[in-house]
Amino acid sequence: MRALRKASSFTDRWAGLGFLFVLPAVLFVVVFIVLPVILNFYLAFTNYKGFGNPYRYIGLLNFKSIFTDKSFWLVLSNTFKLLLFYVVILNIGAVFLAVRIVDMGQGFGTFIKSLLYFPCLLAQIVVGFVWRMILNYQRGLVNVSFRSLGLDFLALNWLGEKALVIPVVSLVIVWFATGYYTVIYYAGLMAISPEYYEVATLEGANGRQKFRFVTLPLLAPAITINVVLSTMGVLGAYDLPTALSAGGGPGYHGTTLALLVIRYVYENYQMGKALSVATIMAFIAVVLAYFELKLLVKREVH
Amino acid sequence: MKWSQSLRIQRMHIGGHVVLIIVAAIILVPLYYVLVNAFKTDMGINMVPMGFSREYFTFESFRNVWRLLSFPKALMNSLILVVVSCAILIVSGALAGFSIAIIHNRLLRSIYTTLVLLISVPFQVILIPNIQILTALKLMNNYFGTSFLFAAINMPFTVFLYTGFMRAIPRELCEAAIVDGCGMGKTFLRIYMPLMRVVTSTVLILRGTGVWNDLLIPLATFTNEKYDPLIRRLYAFASLRFNRWDLLFAGTVLCSIPILLLFLFLQRVFIRGMLVGSIKG
Repeated sequence: MRALRKASSFTDRWAGLGFLFVLPAVLFVVVFIVLPVILNFYLAFTNYKGFGNPYRYIGLLNFKSIFTDKSFWLVLSNTFKLLLFYVVILNIGAVFLAVRIVDMGQGFGTFIKSLLYFPCLLAQIVVGFVWRMILNYQRGLVNVSFRSLGLDFLALNWLGEKALVIPVVSLVIVWFATGYYTVIYYAGLMAISPEYYEVATLEGANGRQKFRFVTLPLLAPAITINVVLSTMGVLGAYDLPTALSAGGGPGYHGTTLALLVIRYVYENYQMGKALSVATIMAFIAVVLAYFELKLLVKREVH
Repeated sequence: MKWSQSLRIQRMHIGGHVVLIIVAAIILVPLYYVLVNAFKTDMGINMVPMGFSREYFTFESFRNVWRLLSFPKALMNSLILVVVSCAILIVSGALAGFSIAIIHNRLLRSIYTTLVLLISVPFQVILIPNIQILTALKLMNNYFGTSFLFAAINMPFTVFLYTGFMRAIPRELCEAAIVDGCGMGKTFLRIYMPLMRVVTSTVLILRGTGVWNDLLIPLATFTNEKYDPLIRRLYAFASLRFNRWDLLFAGTVLCSIPILLLFLFLQRVFIRGMLVGSIKG
């Protein structure tokens, strides 16, 4: 502690300048993030109708109109369905692939890693439109293939069926994002010392046991990061779902909270509703991050 | 016993290959499907959905989509946004990271904590107020306004990265610079920034493609279509004529070419950069 203080005194003379150095970053963040967050919470309790119009405090009226709106509850359940499907499938898939890639070693493993990583560089709307064509009922690749194999009963209306659209959207986002998370898991696996596996081998553990008792516990920090990152990512995901489901259709069955805010702003011009849904979204983000961190960090080995 | 064991390992390896080959196919088939159909007439896409076809081969879709997107203008708009926002992001992010990393006081520490907490604010939460703020600042329909917003959104993570990496640089280096008479600015420019090449290239490439690919921010901040970047033009165009698959395939290819080129040349930087962002940070 003493040494630290002594060392830091060296740069203490720069304290004033130091504040000047952080100023631009702080300014941008305050003006375009902090202030807007506060403003959003405040405006959600007013009858705000867009720039330039006078507005006043109306209490919980916006929230009341949201909570009595049937489509809101549908959208909320869509959002949680998407979160559940996406986060679970993505993380299990990415851990599995990362383990496989490590097993394959350099060469083929590296090739697959780069290939997997490629889709998440594409624009989300490009991915959304491409899959909307592939999954098209009449002439999409998937249904054309099924029909040519005589499996007509499998040629479903993937994006038009109320019950199918959210699972299909989840899977397409998984296609888009898996590479990103696989690379993080891959790095986590590479950081595990081989000695643990040697000891496990000496004690007669088989592959499955090694995975269960060595890999999984030591990969826990990466799992924590990825679960939280993927939850936050999909909660705010707009571009891909909107391109894929043509703006959240059919009806509100393909709409999540992230899309609902935008639909309220640009389709229905209901700013009050948009602001209150955004507030609810922020609340859900904080609560989910808190519980996920609490649950997952507890499981990490220290 | 050794024999059977090595056999088993071999079998496992083959199994692993098969799984990964299937995964590779799931990634590659859609990409191939787009690429092969971008060079066909609309008719050809229906007749020969998967193969190359000399009969229906055409460049016409590219020519049409080039015109419909007003490609050169849209490309310019995209580039302006990427360059301006990344320049702001790197300069302010690195300055802030430097200051937080080398000076220890309560104010800077609490700024840092606040920034970290702001990393994952969903954009929907700040969308409407930002339209109001940009309008008040007369920055709607303005390249700078939109670039500021992009820079701000990416700022918390960028500061976080620079801080983490600058903290890892031995303090002795900083002290030696001071002894040699370097001021804070000089220490930053001459000593720290050259050591941050990896972080800087990471931010440039990952945040740059992020800005290039984004739809929502240009959608919210431009009401005049002459400012629209490529991706928003593509979106507007595709929403209107979703049944013209020939144009859509060509359009998606055209808008992804810059990313594809970057990826081919800088693949290592991309993947390394991602790790920099996730593990070390």
